[in-house]
Amino acid sequence: MSYTALSLAQTPPLAVPLRYLLTAPLFAAAAGVVVVFAPEALLSRWTPATLAVTHLLTLGFLAMTMFGALQQLLPVLTGSRLPHAPLLSALVHIGLTVGTITLVLGMGTNHAVMLEVGTLLLLITVDIFAVVVGIALLRARSAHATVGAMGGALCALLITILLGSGLLRHFEWQVPFIHPLTDLHVMWGLAGWVVTLLIGVAWQVVPMFQLTPDYPRLLRRFLVPLLLAGLALWSVVRLAFATDIPFVLVILALLVFAATTLWLQLRRRRLPDVTLSFWRVAMVMLSGAVLAILLPGEHALLFGVLFILGFAMSAVNGMLYKIVPFLIWLHLNNRLQQSGQWQGRVPNMKQIISEAAMRRHYRLHLLLLGLALLALFWPVLARTAGAALAISALLLWWNLWQGRRVYRAVLHGATV
Amino acid sequence: MAREVVLDVSELEPPEPLTQSLAASERLERGDYLRLLHRRRPCLLYDNLVQRGFASETRAGRVVACEVFIWRVGDDEAAKAARAAAAMLPPADHL
Repeated sequence: MSYTALSLAQTPPLAVPLRYLLTAPLFAAAAGVVVVFAPEALLSRWTPATLAVTHLLTLGFLAMTMFGALQQLLPVLTGSRLPHAPLLSALVHIGLTVGTITLVLGMGTNHAVMLEVGTLLLLITVDIFAVVVGIALLRARSAHATVGAMGGALCALLITILLGSGLLRHFEWQVPFIHPLTDLHVMWGLAGWVVTLLIGVAWQVVPMFQLTPDYPRLLRRFLVPLLLAGLALWSVVRLAFATDIPFVLVILALLVFAATTLWLQLRRRRLPDVTLSFWRVAMVMLSGAVLAILLPGEHALLFGVLFILGFAMSAVNGMLYKIVPFLIWLHLNNRLQQSGQWQGRVPNMKQIISEAAMRRHYRLHLLLLGLALLALFWPVLARTAGAALAISALLLWWNLWQGRRVYRAVLHGATV
Repeated sequence: MAREVVLDVSELEPPEPLTQSLAASERLERGDYLRLLHRRRPCLLYDNLVQRGFASETRAGRVVACEVFIWRVGDDEAAKAARAAAAMLPPADHL
């Protein structure tokens, strides 16, 4: 990545991304609570509880943080603000929050009306978001690889949600949804939307915050096209000929991303920090998830735990611990500068969220991963894993909230 | 006699390079210029420097990717020395 590509003057108001980043951990905590009361969520892929937990994590936690991060990164990368950014942020946030809650309640209780209303709300919300962000991406003059990845991720999200809503309609709003298209929905959501966006963000934030060398130019140019082309080819071939052979392209792309990130992290020159630890775990877990796909037999739950909790959640946690303190610092710096106050009053990143607090969360997250993986083979641990997920997510929320408190305290102190 | 103050922020994490660069700039005495060694072009720094009354020139570095020469506006001696030092390095167009 290059700082020349960044236009931090275009950074939106802090509330635009922060409302998403502070809401997301609450959905993850809710997923943990569901597992505590319905431990069968970790026993079979096709229970209502499993579907509810999966969508609390993918829509409530992952999509929520990614929508927030996109609204922050896009104007900074492209140099142009999203139209009516505060209004867009508030509307999409409400739509995503209410839509996810309704859909998940519908899944958990097998309630057709709630499933239909939740799907409709999410379709409207995602469409609005995709149109606004899509137009901004098309207008972007930046040729930065992250901008291309964001566009690809958005397409994958639309395909995911269309497949999901199509499945719901096909089954006349009844769970579960055992169908050949279900795997396509899962893979377009996880390998398409989640990985593509994380790759795009990684091009930026891994070198910037983890002080690694840049990702190789060739990789920045071809990895996302390879991944998405692989998914598209696999989808068509699977439906037409019932074979998964083209999926090897997707596996290749995922492994290359994980291996390159780990390799870059080995070449960094500083002492480890929490984000680095989270990202190392994430890349190892991504490799594990790929291995779970390659194992003979059905290992959907193992793949889900490794991918969603192990890879995606770890990567997002690590990212949040850099992005949130940095944004708070940036906004404090800008606000105090505008009021003519010397920026020495602005707390540093470690004062915004303490290293010890983040490290505590990291240890709890590792415990959660261990418990969740063990629970797949030893179901008696499922409730404990659910409790660990809930507590870990609440600790993440608390840590981020402390950052927001520092922001308010410094602003208040600067104006009295 | 102009004096060069060297500050290497190439292994610091954002926003430390910015805060340390600004603090070091503020400490410059008459005739001094700051030679900042950075891993990248510091896009946030420039507006901050202008607002505080500093001028700068950016070059591609030899040891690190980017070097920024910073002096107080109106300090002709520092400006001349900084520009002479910057001229020894290649342009930073590709950064």
